[in-house]
Amino acid sequence: MANEVTVNALPMRAAFGTRLDPRRHPWWTALATVVLIVGTWIATGTTPVALELLWQWTPALLRGLLTNIEISMLAMALGTLVGLVVGALSLSPLRLPRVLTRWYVQFFRNAPVLVLIYFTTYVFPFELHLVKWTVPFPDWIKVVLGLALPTSAVVAEIFRGAIQSIPSAQWEAAQSLAFRRTEIFRLIVLPQCLRRMLPPWMNLYASITMSTALASLVGAHDVVDTAQIASNTVARTDFTVLVYFTLLGVFFAYCYPIARATRALERRHARH
Amino acid sequence: MSDGGLVAQAVVAVKTLGLNYAFLLNLGERQAFLHGLVVTLELCLLTIPASLAAGVAMAAALTSRHQWLALPARAFVEVTRNTPTLVQLYCAFLVLNMLITRQLEGVGGNPLTPFAWVVIVVAIHKGAFHAEALRAGIEAVPQVTLEAARSLGFSQRQLLWRMELPLAVRFALPSLVNNLVDLVKMTAVASAIAVGDVTYESIMIWTQRDNVLELLLLILLYFGLLTWLVSLAGRWLEARWRMPGYGQ
Repeated sequence: MANEVTVNALPMRAAFGTRLDPRRHPWWTALATVVLIVGTWIATGTTPVALELLWQWTPALLRGLLTNIEISMLAMALGTLVGLVVGALSLSPLRLPRVLTRWYVQFFRNAPVLVLIYFTTYVFPFELHLVKWTVPFPDWIKVVLGLALPTSAVVAEIFRGAIQSIPSAQWEAAQSLAFRRTEIFRLIVLPQCLRRMLPPWMNLYASITMSTALASLVGAHDVVDTAQIASNTVARTDFTVLVYFTLLGVFFAYCYPIARATRALERRHARH
Repeated sequence: MSDGGLVAQAVVAVKTLGLNYAFLLNLGERQAFLHGLVVTLELCLLTIPASLAAGVAMAAALTSRHQWLALPARAFVEVTRNTPTLVQLYCAFLVLNMLITRQLEGVGGNPLTPFAWVVIVVAIHKGAFHAEALRAGIEAVPQVTLEAARSLGFSQRQLLWRMELPLAVRFALPSLVNNLVDLVKMTAVASAIAVGDVTYESIMIWTQRDNVLELLLLILLYFGLLTWLVSLAGRWLEARWRMPGYGQ
């Protein structure tokens, strides 16, 4: 339905502008316009066939989108956990963990996400044998692992950058106030780091969500896969155009608010 | 051929490590893989300048004083940045390409190949990211500098090409290089519409033989090499263009 809002609202907005002053209530104007158009279509039975088909396919597309969101959230959670450990190790006073984490981060940041997804899909087995149980290992979990690898590398970098951005004078000042090392980290450094980490972390989430579209290439039934099936099943030119641009709209509707929130946070932090 | 002998020896040597690179001894598969390497390189070499050109054009539109130019440019950049490249590629290749083919059925057919579509889509996608970086760079050019240039009789166009752009590029260079590294990685998406890049050729080979791990290691090494070269070039440019007292 998101598509109908964007596609239909734009040309009609101008016509309604004189009476409703759309500049003051743009969202209400858009909503009213859509309701009016859809209402007219239903009342007169002249709904375009492609839109009617899209409405029929909406539940399937939403289920696909849910898969994408699940994949992105799990990959983000897993990647963040691993990334924090790797990031902490990269700050170690010992040389070996520093070198190893450096390689880890470099390797997974410079590898194409698509190749990593192929990697986890084809290298891991179809099912796992745990003692005597056989657990199926579905494709979408492999995609989660494939996306978690680059996520962990980026989170490690974000974490390292945030810790190093805290002036070392704060450590010394806190030490002179008789704070213990763990206390300094927990009470002084970490709260500042979390604030600095949040915007790049949100950016990363948006980019991981966009990367979940690649899951369709390794056989996971996500929203892109569903759109392709819909397009091939219906096999109408206007529906194909509609469904692919709806896909674009769906991803935009999910990722753009995250990008806006990130920018708002960055601006707020820049002022402090 | 001594070269073939060397490859055979290397394959045997690596096999003791548990990695099976026997496909390199098959002439057809070796040539397909090498061709894939070349296609990926071509994709990068064409897309990098195309994306930079697109980025400059979009940055000019974004910073334009004309609202009718700046607003659509802003909307386009936002949509491009916040949607997956794969979906954009599908919208271009499966939808626009189909419509163009329909239109040109009578007159000589559609000249755009899948390869061309990948170049266009990735160039525009990364161009939007370049445009944001350049816009930030243009906004970081001090107003006083521009006023000084204006008082010396620079026209608006000279101002853009001689003052704003050179300074903006220096400011934006680190993020531009970052974007180009991403661009190199992004060319792997070409395999989704059957362009014969290194990823696609590897898939063709590993469906015949069971050597996924071996091929993936080669692909990752290759992309590692390409991204390393891009960041090396970036660092060289940064050092070369450094102006004392300007930039980060």
